[in-house]
Amino acid sequence: MKSSLHAGAVAAAGALLLTSCGGSGEDSPGAESAEGMDICYVAAAESHAYASPANEAFQNAADELGVNVTLLSQEFDAQTGTDQLRTCIGRNPDGIVLWPLDPQAYIPGLVEAQDAEVPVVLINSPMDEEAEGLYTSFTGPDTYEQGQLAAEVMDEALGGEGSVVIVAGQAGNGTTIGRTGGFHDKLEELGSGIEVLQTVNADFDQQRALELSRDLISQHGDDLDGVYANDDTMARGFIDAWTESGRALEDMPAIVGINGQRDAFASIEDGHYTATIVQSPEEDGRLALETIVAAATGEEVESRIPIPLTVVTEENVAEEEPAF
Amino acid sequence: MNALKKICESPAVLTLIHYRVVVILVVAVILSASLVPGLTEFRTLSLSLDRAATLGLVAVGLTVVLLLGKLDLSVGSILALSGIAAIGLQPQLGQLGAAAFGVCVGLLAGVLNGVLVVLMQINSLVATLASMIFLRAMCHFVTESNPISGADPLFGLAVSRSLGGTFSLRTFIFLIAIVLLFLWLTYTVAGRHVYAVGSNEDAATASGVRSGRYIFGAFVFSGLMAGTAGVMQSLATNTGSPVFGSTVTLTAIAAVVIGGTRLEGGRGSALGTLGGVLVLAAITTALEYESVPSYYQNIVTGSILLLLILLDRIASNSPRSALSLSSLLPVRSKEQSPAR
Repeated sequence: MKSSLHAGAVAAAGALLLTSCGGSGEDSPGAESAEGMDICYVAAAESHAYASPANEAFQNAADELGVNVTLLSQEFDAQTGTDQLRTCIGRNPDGIVLWPLDPQAYIPGLVEAQDAEVPVVLINSPMDEEAEGLYTSFTGPDTYEQGQLAAEVMDEALGGEGSVVIVAGQAGNGTTIGRTGGFHDKLEELGSGIEVLQTVNADFDQQRALELSRDLISQHGDDLDGVYANDDTMARGFIDAWTESGRALEDMPAIVGINGQRDAFASIEDGHYTATIVQSPEEDGRLALETIVAAATGEEVESRIPIPLTVVTEENVAEEEPAF
Repeated sequence: MNALKKICESPAVLTLIHYRVVVILVVAVILSASLVPGLTEFRTLSLSLDRAATLGLVAVGLTVVLLLGKLDLSVGSILALSGIAAIGLQPQLGQLGAAAFGVCVGLLAGVLNGVLVVLMQINSLVATLASMIFLRAMCHFVTESNPISGADPLFGLAVSRSLGGTFSLRTFIFLIAIVLLFLWLTYTVAGRHVYAVGSNEDAATASGVRSGRYIFGAFVFSGLMAGTAGVMQSLATNTGSPVFGSTVTLTAIAAVVIGGTRLEGGRGSALGTLGGVLVLAAITTALEYESVPSYYQNIVTGSILLLLILLDRIASNSPRSALSLSSLLPVRSKEQSPAR
């Protein structure tokens, strides 16, 4: 998928070059028309376990193609992001890549981008149906599917019954909604006897997850059979709270996380982490950049380009590579 | 040492210090204009101002509260709650009705703060901290912690789109609010009383000013402004979110303080606040265009804040002439009324 897309971008760029400035005759005609292109990237955050490598891969891919990137960081604040999106439009870039932190709030901004005829690619997180048609493409993992996969693993690990808690990301965040919603829906679909005791919002933050997990453990303690965390960082927070409470690692509830972080892999190998779902931030960042460049050069791109997901458990942990 | 003292005491320097907000603003604008290609273009300028309008409206309300020597930490929560009301009640009240109701929510939240601070005599920091937490929880409660959206995403574009190639509606509302506040504070008796109450509440009360009413009114005004900002923010994004406005409170306080208003009360001006908001807007625009990480922006903001407060000390300890370097040392006189 990725390589064909890349080739497509090059081909489109080449075609454009032929029609627009046929005389220049350089060695690498493909890179030429992407070169000097201005891309405005509204990123989720700057220093974050997942966002940082994604941004870096985005920048590296841009450097390869000679594309200029202006990176604006929302620092996980959708309100800032909506303003930044409009600032981006004001710059008149060749394309905008947006990391939506809210499924709705950017819609008016997207309308303005459409008016200004600036193509927009969504990276990483989904938006609501109303936004469809306002952006060119959405690259990134299917968070709803991740939630479903997590539910399947959890159901299997617990043999279809037990009590679990969910350590979720920010309330209202599209990724949180997808990962949590997919989990609930899949449990229902499976007719699973698993009961979700409580859902807490730890904002994808390890420290916050640690604090909230302390409460969860003192409240539910040994009744807990499983923990589903919206990402591995927060799962780590729970594990720390568990050992901190003086409980043994062997008695750990089944832990299911998402992202495929290195430390989650290590814990799976040690046998006290049930599963994680790998999505690669490098893939995420690079795919978004390549897609926006293709879109900006006038090529047709798919409106939904998912990155592949892999469920990693004890069985395949040796073969798979951690995402970061 | 002596030479430094001399320089600091020279009238030119003192004048510069007196107009420090203007100086910083000019520097910030020149810097950002040189960093950002096309900042001077009207469209970019208009967009930057539109971005600053939400912060600006909150800062306008806070200016009066700070002038009275009080604090209002709840403005961010009020902003979110009003926005949620303005979007969530659209099916029942219609788009304009819901917007008006959202503004009323802000007003009522201001009344709540006023009751806590004036009638129940709770320290304003504690009282508004409580209402901040309470109102934020309300936001999560009524939305079940999920953002809600209106039916028509295009309705709100009227708020943020520039009118006839000039500024956006909310920019105009912000600028008009600043001018009206300036005129009220400077040219009316009631406005002058705000300064009197802020400088010394007991003395003002003793000389016949109804201090409590001014303070009550200030909190209502602050709530009203935060509500207006929240309604427009939510309309512009077609979203009422329980996490909106989580960072706006402290940034708005910073803008007001950069504008020369004292936390101790009694000093400051509406135009200063305009300057403070514009300084922050210029910094944000410039550094974002340069892809500078936002924590660097916060370093710059923090440094400017500190610098201005030091300069404020020089300026306030010298009636424009008798400056001594010792004025930089923290030997503040205990002239303020005891904290309530």
